[in-house]
Amino acid sequence: MRYGGGNRSRLLLIILIVSSLFLITLDLRGVQVLDGLRSGSQTVLSPFQKVGNTVASPFKNFFSDVTHLGRTRNQLEQLRAENFNLRTKLINRKNADAQLKQYKSILDLAGTADYKILSAKVISQGSSQSFSQTLTIDAGSNSGIRRNMTVICDSGLAGVVKEVYPNSSLILLASDPSFRIGVRIAGSQQIGILSGQGSNRALLQLIDNQTTLQAGDVLLARGSLQNRPFVPGVPVGSVVSVDNSAGAVTQSASVKFYTNFSALGVVAVVVGAPKTDPRDALVPAKPRPTPIPTITVLVTPSPSPTATK
Amino acid sequence: MITRQLSFSGLIFLFIYTLQESLVNQIRLPGGGFSIFIIFALVWSALSAPEVGAVAGFGAGFLVDLSPSSSGPVGQWTLIMILTCFGIAFLGFGDDKSRGNPITIVFLVVAGVFLSEIAFLISGALLGVNLGSLSQIAIILIGMSMWTLLITPFTLPIFSRFHAFTFETGSRI
Repeated sequence: MRYGGGNRSRLLLIILIVSSLFLITLDLRGVQVLDGLRSGSQTVLSPFQKVGNTVASPFKNFFSDVTHLGRTRNQLEQLRAENFNLRTKLINRKNADAQLKQYKSILDLAGTADYKILSAKVISQGSSQSFSQTLTIDAGSNSGIRRNMTVICDSGLAGVVKEVYPNSSLILLASDPSFRIGVRIAGSQQIGILSGQGSNRALLQLIDNQTTLQAGDVLLARGSLQNRPFVPGVPVGSVVSVDNSAGAVTQSASVKFYTNFSALGVVAVVVGAPKTDPRDALVPAKPRPTPIPTITVLVTPSPSPTATK
Repeated sequence: MITRQLSFSGLIFLFIYTLQESLVNQIRLPGGGFSIFIIFALVWSALSAPEVGAVAGFGAGFLVDLSPSSSGPVGQWTLIMILTCFGIAFLGFGDDKSRGNPITIVFLVVAGVFLSEIAFLISGALLGVNLGSLSQIAIILIGMSMWTLLITPFTLPIFSRFHAFTFETGSRI
């Protein structure tokens, strides 16, 4: 704390602060040079991110696997019995299988609604330091991706294309706090606005206060003008609780996204919208309760009861 | 001499930035994880004179702003990092007891990360950036500070060697 500073030091600090304020002003005024710099940095980083994704793939979901330990316990027991090489191979294979399963589910979803899609692999997760929820995929403008296209995954809506670079794209996840989407409730067709909250929950605000919402209601994307940024009919999530506070201007509810944003390996960008609105065709099937077997014992009384002494 | 220092510093900063963007960002850690690049910039400043800290903060903040996943306008992180890095360098400068003490540096870095995130939140709110729910913000703030506290002691010896090599000071932590 003995530093007393000096005129030179103060001048340097002032120059740097003024430079940063100048940058903020330029960016807020929409100067193209700064957009070009960000685009250039993504173009340079893209090959490194692909390599990083390959290197990190065996352990990138380690923590989310730990939190879902109950589900993967059997697999873990199997893995413990094997040696390191076999374990690595198995994890890589598991990764590929999971991606294949995700691809298949995405194709099923897109096929049902007649979406024209372009599948892509997630090559980088966005940093949390800016409180934003983004990811980068390995397809960009060279593959036909444009800004404001809908991004889906195996279970429904994943987000929207925010920025496009030649060989990669930045996806704004539906969980991002700045994310807004018009939704409708499957069946009743009531409409509302869904806002991301930075987690796997979102806030739904209904336009009409007279409608009744209930837990379990399924929300689908309402679709945008000319299908951008959102194509209609994509499953978004389901209502988990309804806020029925008296005097509220609009009815609101907490919604759980169908998508598990921390486990996205592959996604698909909707590059062509369906000719007709798929309506409720993509509403996920409700889980069927496991049937409980009932045992019926039939007793036929004997024709001549035995006499008791 | 200054050309050598600048070029070495630039290369090391670019290397750590690439590491952050290509590898560290791939791993989803609970509580928001950590930024090895911000930790590095703050350690570098803690070991440097205030002028060097401010310049390092400018470079580091500008690189964070260039990150495609960074929300907010270009220049926001630059401004925050200039002030944070200068502040950390200013606190440690001239006091050899605090500069040579790894525990002090670790706590300076943790405080720096926490305060820079708070500054990002406040300036983001002023600039109209959507930041999410309070609970999520609190989780990320606490999570990032805890991760920084955990990671910094392991990275400090490596970063101090880089610093000593660049500035030819010969003193390491």
